[in-house]
Amino acid sequence: MFRQLLRNAKERLRLLLAQRGRRVRVWRDRLRRQPDRIDPSLRFVPDFRYVYGEREARGLELLKEWLSPEQFAQYDAKSYFDVTGCQSGKRYRISHGTSMNIHELDGAGRPCVGWCFAPKGYLVAGDVMLAQKIALETDERGALGVANKFFVPTGRRNMLLH
Amino acid sequence: MATQIVMDRTGDTRHNFDAKNADALLKAEERFRELTGAGFTAAVRTASGEAVVKRTFDPNAEETLFFPRLVGG
Repeated sequence: MFRQLLRNAKERLRLLLAQRGRRVRVWRDRLRRQPDRIDPSLRFVPDFRYVYGEREARGLELLKEWLSPEQFAQYDAKSYFDVTGCQSGKRYRISHGTSMNIHELDGAGRPCVGWCFAPKGYLVAGDVMLAQKIALETDERGALGVANKFFVPTGRRNMLLH
Repeated sequence: MATQIVMDRTGDTRHNFDAKNADALLKAEERFRELTGAGFTAAVRTASGEAVVKRTFDPNAEETLFFPRLVGG
């Protein structure tokens, strides 16, 4: 009886943490996307705030123009979007960011492997995500050929990404 | 008016040109060759919104996007 109660409480706590984790992630990504959010050490560089924000915004604008309606809605709500690899048919999740932001999804839609590749040079997040999307949708093998693979932990962290 | 969009550190640079003007078209083709020769990938969108990579210059493309060579992160 006591064990059953404990098990139920543990399961409820796990679900609650997963839910909260997802919310925190969405809010964190939203904050990151705000053009005003800049490195405080650069606060006093003239025009930095304007230029930085403008670049970020232009990158995101371009990305949104090229996303499919489904991807756009998903990105707008969750700060990530899914793409289908043109050769394997596998699904990949591209999260807002410029590195270590691609996760291959398993049959159940859970991240199983991480892939890291990006266009050469310094580009804003919107541009990087757009290049990653086009690469996976048009030349999946070529993109993964240059990419570095990284381990995605299973368990709670994996659950939060899901 | 057709556009070539080149991703760069400023976000992107856009080159607009009149596709009916032979000189402008020639210049756009030259830019296409220069960029792809430097490792950029050129992509266009189909009517359904799907991205397609172009290896050769497409004079009918309304919008061509160029992004730098991909590298492992």
